[in-house]
Amino acid sequence: MPCGRCKRPRAAKTPVSVATTQENPLLEGLQLRRTPDPCILVIFGASGDLTQRKLLPALYSLAFRRLLPEKFAVVGVARSEESDGDFRDRMKEAVQKFARDEFRDDVWDPLAEGMRYVATDFADEAGENKLVSVLNELDSDRGTGGNRVYYLAIPPSVFGTVVRALGKRRGADGWTRLIVEKPFGHDLASARELNATIEEHFQENEVFRIDHYLGKETVQNMLALRFANGIFEPIWNRQFVDHVQITVAESIGIENRAGYYEQAGAIRDIFQNHLLQLLAITAMEPPIDFTADSVRNEKVKVLRALHTPGPKSVVRGQYGRGFVEGEEVVGYREEAGVDPQSMTETYVAAKLYVDNWRWADTPFYVRMGKRLPRRETTIAIEFKRAPHPPFEELAAEGLRPNVLLVHVQPDEGVSLAIGAKVPGQGMTIRTVHMDFLYGGAFRTGLPEAYERLILDAMVGDATLFTRIDEVEEQWSLVDAIVAAWARDRPAFPNYPAGTWGPPSADELLRRDGRSWRRH
Amino acid sequence: MAQALTSIREIERELSALRTVPGTESPYQRTSVMTHTAWVPEEWVEAAEDVLSGLAERHPSRTVVLFPQPDEKDGLDGEVEVDVYPVGEGRRICTETIRVRLRGQRAAAPASVVQPLLLPDLPAFLRWRGLPPFGAEYFEGLIDVVDRLVIDSTEWPGLPDSYRGLTEIFDRVAVSDIAWARTSRWRPQLASLWPGIADVKRIRVTGTAAQAQLLAGWLRSRLKHDVALEHDPSDRLAGVELDGKPAPFPPGDPPSGSDLLSEELDKFGRDGIYEDAVRAALA
Repeated sequence: MPCGRCKRPRAAKTPVSVATTQENPLLEGLQLRRTPDPCILVIFGASGDLTQRKLLPALYSLAFRRLLPEKFAVVGVARSEESDGDFRDRMKEAVQKFARDEFRDDVWDPLAEGMRYVATDFADEAGENKLVSVLNELDSDRGTGGNRVYYLAIPPSVFGTVVRALGKRRGADGWTRLIVEKPFGHDLASARELNATIEEHFQENEVFRIDHYLGKETVQNMLALRFANGIFEPIWNRQFVDHVQITVAESIGIENRAGYYEQAGAIRDIFQNHLLQLLAITAMEPPIDFTADSVRNEKVKVLRALHTPGPKSVVRGQYGRGFVEGEEVVGYREEAGVDPQSMTETYVAAKLYVDNWRWADTPFYVRMGKRLPRRETTIAIEFKRAPHPPFEELAAEGLRPNVLLVHVQPDEGVSLAIGAKVPGQGMTIRTVHMDFLYGGAFRTGLPEAYERLILDAMVGDATLFTRIDEVEEQWSLVDAIVAAWARDRPAFPNYPAGTWGPPSADELLRRDGRSWRRH
Repeated sequence: MAQALTSIREIERELSALRTVPGTESPYQRTSVMTHTAWVPEEWVEAAEDVLSGLAERHPSRTVVLFPQPDEKDGLDGEVEVDVYPVGEGRRICTETIRVRLRGQRAAAPASVVQPLLLPDLPAFLRWRGLPPFGAEYFEGLIDVVDRLVIDSTEWPGLPDSYRGLTEIFDRVAVSDIAWARTSRWRPQLASLWPGIADVKRIRVTGTAAQAQLLAGWLRSRLKHDVALEHDPSDRLAGVELDGKPAPFPPGDPPSGSDLLSEELDKFGRDGIYEDAVRAALA
């Protein structure tokens, strides 16, 4: 009879790290590598920046570490005409330029051998036929068994066409997985529409909506920090936390992406996805295990509990001319391709509340923007002050509250600000930092987010991908904020490039007797 | 040349001085992951230094290298080195290497030298070059203050009998064997031959004696029946035959000595499969 305290066996995750020994005793204790099944990775949008800067360098790094299956092929699909050889040459150049590992022919050659290119806009049967025939040929030449990972790095406007064509021509053999790049829609309605198109042909467990922030080691470390250490969870709540600050700051401008950015703005580019995911990971309850559904169930509860902020709790901004890293830069409205009267926001700050038992009345101040003084993504948990420090007022004058600061990038790591006595006769207390630096404790290069995510998708592990209900919750919050914006017209630009945003963002915290973390 | 440090207190003082950023009063940030102690008799000095130099980059922590010189006049000579690495934007961290010559009687009680130098609350590893003197007080004392003993039974004479002493310390300290780690590419390869391998009677290993003994022991212990061993000596694991048929060669290149030691330093628990393989090698 099962005892009340016995644990149910955990659902096995697809990537097996320690193999089952029921049948094969030789597997006992072996740490098996997560090597995916033989498969073909088909990249739609292969002529784009993402493929060159991120995807191919990530594949090369996986090949470098022998993490790709032996039977593997890559097919690039894009509109522009290109031969297989030209595609390989272009990708080789990209790998040499952007990969984190040294270039080695013995790593590149086998990878390049399985590379093909198909030029099609996917709007006609001929293009589809061509792709299917290349894939079938590769299956037979390289033994990839009909397994497909389709990576959709394409604009939303052609998304439906490609998904329908892929669905219509699904093969009978092997598995199919669909990796979908952001943006997943531009509002709730369009996200639902996109999803309806996907659902016609694919199951939810075949869809991998990528948010590359979740592939970052430091974001995953947030889960380790919270749930592998007994000391944090007891104080990770409204009783002890005064407030949370999440900053996603970029010093760059829009980098020739005016077409996209004019439509998206900071709220759709960063807030809707990366920022809300960081918030969800910070605020979520402990999952019962680390399977995809358990983790995503907890994240979606946070997103559902987010209170829609009123207009006074959201600040938007747009950068004007200014100086970044000593260089004079133009304002947003002067960027190439941007409407000189553009009302697109390049900065958003907001005060959010997670309406649940753990976080009631604890503000989460979030901000993100372009052309800020430096690139920085941090999550700061600011704790309540000690209730009654038994020191003279002057002694603790410079003492700030304890802050647990998670550096997502750069300087990946965690630091804790604590008060310490300044050596000497008197009793003066000063804030000092205890630092854990990733690069200091583990001197192995951190893998790029895309390496982790591509491999996860190949092995079918969706833990670090966004589920449709999360996407919908994210959009419904963004839609509510944007709807309120339709009623006013702020005086843009309202912050000079190279500053930490408009003064109203400071006011947002000042009203609550708080301030943004000092940099 | 710096004067040798003759006491633990002097070593600690020197460490503290070297950790200060030149021209300032603030210290470099020290990384604290583990204490790695190495026992390096004279004949192993060169090999040990090679591996340690590759290791500092990957496991930056405190390394204590003990050079026993029991035939010298009693005394302790210490040298301290702090290596500084850039990390992130404008930040630097440091790692510490302490080299201690234990002369005369000092070589008889190394645990008393190591203990005050261990980083508190962090795992301590002991790398022992050559065959450990099982039962000797200075060795037994050291394994009582560390969490994991790292050996390379490839360096041992008289296998498999030399494993006997090792089996007696399994309950006291977790053991990593670099020779076992060197078979790690082959074991999944052989496991992939299941179920054909289930009734194998004979294994022929071209490799070191340790690799041959451990692979045979592994098969015996996992398959729960005897497997006869034939050994073709070679300085690396170059091939395995099962009942006269060559097993397919595992993909990829074999890892370097530093890589192997580095991987072992990431392990903390006991390796029951290895322990069973050692016992079965003796059977």
